[in-house]
Formats: sequence, structure tokens, C-alpha cells
Amino acid sequence: MAMLDVSGLDAGYGDLQILSDVDLEVVEDEYVVIVGPNGAGKSTAMKSVFGLTTYVGGSIEFNGENITGHSPDEIIHKGIGYVPQTENVFPSLTVQENLEMGAYILDEVPGDALEAVFDQFPILRERRDQKTGSMSGGQQQMVAMGRALMLDPDLLLLDEPSAGLAPDLVDEMFDHVDTINDNGTAVLVVEQNAKEALRRCDRGYVLVQGRNRYVDDGEALLHDEEVRQQFLGG
Amino acid sequence: MSTVDDAVTRGRNLTVEQLLLLAVGTGALLLVGDLILGVFDGTYNISRIGRYVVQGILYGLIIGLAGIGLSMTYSILNFANFAHGDTITVGAFIGWGGTYLIGGWGAASIGHLALVGPQRGIGGPQFGISVMSTPIAIFGGLLLAGVGTALLAVLIDRLAYKPMRGSDGIPLLITSIGVAFALRYLIVFVYSSQSRGTTASVPSADLLLVDGYVSIDAHDGTLIAAAVALMIGVHLLLQRTKLGKAMRAMSDNKDLALVTGIPTERVIRWTWMIGGGLAGSAGYLMVLWTGTIDWQFGWLLLLLIFAAVILGGIGSIYGAIFGGLIIGVAMHMSMIWLPGGDFTTITAFLMMILVLLIRPSGLFGGTTTA
Repeated sequence: MAMLDVSGLDAGYGDLQILSDVDLEVVEDEYVVIVGPNGAGKSTAMKSVFGLTTYVGGSIEFNGENITGHSPDEIIHKGIGYVPQTENVFPSLTVQENLEMGAYILDEVPGDALEAVFDQFPILRERRDQKTGSMSGGQQQMVAMGRALMLDPDLLLLDEPSAGLAPDLVDEMFDHVDTINDNGTAVLVVEQNAKEALRRCDRGYVLVQGRNRYVDDGEALLHDEEVRQQFLGG
Repeated sequence: MSTVDDAVTRGRNLTVEQLLLLAVGTGALLLVGDLILGVFDGTYNISRIGRYVVQGILYGLIIGLAGIGLSMTYSILNFANFAHGDTITVGAFIGWGGTYLIGGWGAASIGHLALVGPQRGIGGPQFGISVMSTPIAIFGGLLLAGVGTALLAVLIDRLAYKPMRGSDGIPLLITSIGVAFALRYLIVFVYSSQSRGTTASVPSADLLLVDGYVSIDAHDGTLIAAAVALMIGVHLLLQRTKLGKAMRAMSDNKDLALVTGIPTERVIRWTWMIGGGLAGSAGYLMVLWTGTIDWQFGWLLLLLIFAAVILGGIGSIYGAIFGGLIIGVAMHMSMIWLPGGDFTTITAFLMMILVLLIRPSGLFGGTTTA
């Protein structure tokens, strides 16, 4: 049974509808990516899961519970974490304060979760007292992921984690996503870097003009002649 | 061609800015030079300068303390709150009502005491209210001013601003002007437009400074102690507590705070309480310091608070504190060269304009938030 089950979703921003009849599934521990051309509605689909868009129709279920139309803070309590693509850290707060904010809904900052994040991103332990705004893009991305992991979510939504990073850091970021997934968190990732993402994921969705176009195993999509021609540059 | 144009524009900007800096620097040097020469040849009295500095610091502490709340609501709610000045006045009246009730119990009717003695000739000086003779009345009043204004600020938010949450700065600003008028004339309605004395005189320490005395009385001391304690308290709150960190996070990025799970409405409520509480305390201390209270002193203070907060970098509480001190000291120091009165206000705004010309985001702008 799917942990996240989006079916027939129509959504957008205000009067502008972007998604039409989008279906999306993530099962437990799965690594799913959404790829597609610019403006296909990839980020919109992800934001809709987190309650950040205008709902028009369809349904979103998480762990068998209907979360359609719920607000982000309610959805966090259900066990979904979200890392926006840009401006995803609090620049004037230190690394540790950023991570603490991730666990705000708990009465106390969970020490073991903090340690787990520091174990995954050792550089953050070294720089725990540094202001996040003065860190590099790659390090800020780690802070953002770490913050979303503080509540140990069942499902983590990552909006283009490798966007804007230097080429050598892109691989590192993909490795981090792999590790998060290996540690038992299902991930749903929107990626520009389609080839690499499809190579690493369990399953991929190709979204075009706000609609589902292809759904298959990552490897299968990678070798699909049509997908290669149209979306992966041959 | 465009690169050449760019270069020309950049060069021109640089020259203009440098010229400005040069002019301001020269002006400042001339004033300092004149001050030093004047002190040596006896034109300026050192103890008089000392008195100006002390008065300036005291005034600056009030402006800074009141400015913290203005800066906080600006950075977290994104609007300039024009009702802040009248919130200060209301706080002072609430607090002094408490002080009169405690310090003047039995000397007049309860209504007269709670309304801060609207009838002429029966007030604080007659009850002998001062920090020396009735310390409990003073501290009780200060506490009441803080708590009462905090609750009032939350109430105003609920009634006026909360229904407009999400609209941008200008509609909120206009709403706050409406709130300011409502508060101000509510004060007149409840407390009357009569200005009155509030305190009996207190002993002062006269410190010898070369050629004369600088006197600091017990109320000056109370103001310094209370203002500094409150400022340190806010600093610790913002840096150490979960709520404070969430406030800083919200001033960085509200959307991210929301998706992180920070209960933004609760943080906004606390922001109003803390900002309002500080405004009320500042108003109370201002009245303690000047010894008089009237219905519009907060409104008149507001423009100076804006000058201080903008000069310091709006959104930064440290900017508000330092901006307040700079404005306060500059205003009083200017009396060395200028006649007092409204000229000191001109100095305050001139300072603000000069700082903004050289550093448009203010002294602390863009470096320290909340």
C-alpha cells in the first residue's frame, strides 16, 4: 500500500491552475523522483503535497489519512518534511539554531536527532555556531536538509537539492539523498538533473505541462527511447 | 557601450558618495575641533557638555527602549506601526494610575487616583510619590505599565491587524494611523487633556566635573537601571530562548518559518506582547524622568523613535538601541551650538538623513536581524 497517494490532483496558485489530474505514489522507504521540462509543474506537485498551493480537485492521502487541504504545520505533524528549493535556511541564525527550529513543534530539541544530523553532515557539527548566511550554497543545502530531518519524517520532500551547486557538489548532494533514503526515510525529489536522478531512484515520474506523462522504474525510464529523446537530450 | 555607461555611472556614484562622505567628515571634524578649542579657551564649559551627554544618554535610553518594539513589529510583521507612540502614552497612563493607587491610597478617591489625578493640584507631588519615598508604588506602576500595555497590544492586534494578516505594509501602516488616532483621543476621553506633574523631587548626586557639577538624581538612576535591565532581558530572550530564536527566524523568512512548523501566529502574539510591554515601560520611565504626563507625549516621541530605528537599521533591536542613544546624545550635544527647543529635533533628523545617505540600510541594517 502506498504511503503517499495523490490521485487526480488539480491544483495551482490562485486562479492559475497548473496541475491537471496528476497521480503520484510513494511507498514506504521508496526513492521517487519527478523530472520533466521547465514549467512542467514539478515543484507545484511537491508543494501541493505540503499544502502550499491552491487546491482545485482530487485527493492526497498520507498513511491512509486524507490530508487534502491541510496546512503545512498540520502536515508536518503527520510525518512529512519539506525542503524548499531556494531560501531554505534562516541566514541570521546559527547552524544549530536552524536545526533547533526544525524541531520547534516538540517541547525539547531531541538530542539524538541532532546527533544523527551531525553524523550525516559532519561539517555541520564543526560549524554549529556559525551564522548560516555566511556559509556556501552546498553547506546551506545541508543545513536545510538537516533541519527537515530533525523530526525524523516518514517522507522527505526535496525540491531540486542540487540546483545551483558546483558540479563536484552535485554528486555529494545525491549521495546525501541516498544516505537519507538508506536510513529509512522515503524521499520524493524534484530534479533538473534528470539522468543522475533516474539512475539513483527507485521510480520516476515524468511530468509535462502539469500532467503525468510517464511513470516507471528509474532504469526503465532512463532506457526508454522516447523519454531519452524528449527529456534526456538523446 | 553599455559597459562604458556602467563605468561612468559607477564612477559618478563613487565621486558623489565620496564627496558626501568628505563633506560630512569635514563637518564632523570642524565641530570636534571647535569643541576641543572651545574647551581649552574656556568658551565651552566642560561640566555643561557633561550634562548634555548625561541628559542625551537618558533620553536616548527611552527612545531606544521604545524603539525595540517598533523594530520588532517591523521585522516580523513588515509594517511601520504609527500607533506605537500612542501605545507608549497609554502604557504610561495605565502604569501611573497604578502608582497613584498604591502611593496615594486614601489621599483621594479611587477614580481620581486610577485616572492619574485629572483634577489640578491633587497628584503625585502632593502624595510625595518618588522612587525614594514610595518605591513599591513606582515598581508596581512600572510592572503594570509593561503588563497592561502588552495585553493592550495583543488586543489591538486581534481587533485591527489580525484580520488583515497577509496584506502588505501600506494598508497595515494606514490602519495603524487609524489606531493611533483612536488611542490618542481615547486617552483624552478617559484621562483628559490636562497635563500634570507626577512626582515629588528626589535627592541627587552632584558629581564634580572639572569646572562644575553634573547632577544625577534618583529617578535618572532608576531610568538607567530599568532600561538597561530590560534591554539585556530582550537580548537574552532573542538569543537564548526558543521563542526568541523563532522570532529571529520569522524576521529572516516568514514562509520558511511556516513550512518549518513554527507556530507563526503564536510568535506574532508574543512579538506584540514584548514590543508593547517595552513601549509601555518606556512611557512609564519617560514620565518618571520628566515628572510630567500628558496625552500626546508618546505621539511626539514617535518621530524621534522612527529616526532612531531607521538610523540604526530598521528591523534590528541593537540598531534601535544604538540609534536611540546616538539621536539622544546628538540632540543634546547640538545645544552647544544651537539654541535648544525645536532645533534639537532638527539635529535628530539631520543625523538620520546623513547616516542614510552614507549607509542606506542603517548602521545595523542587513547584518543583525530582530
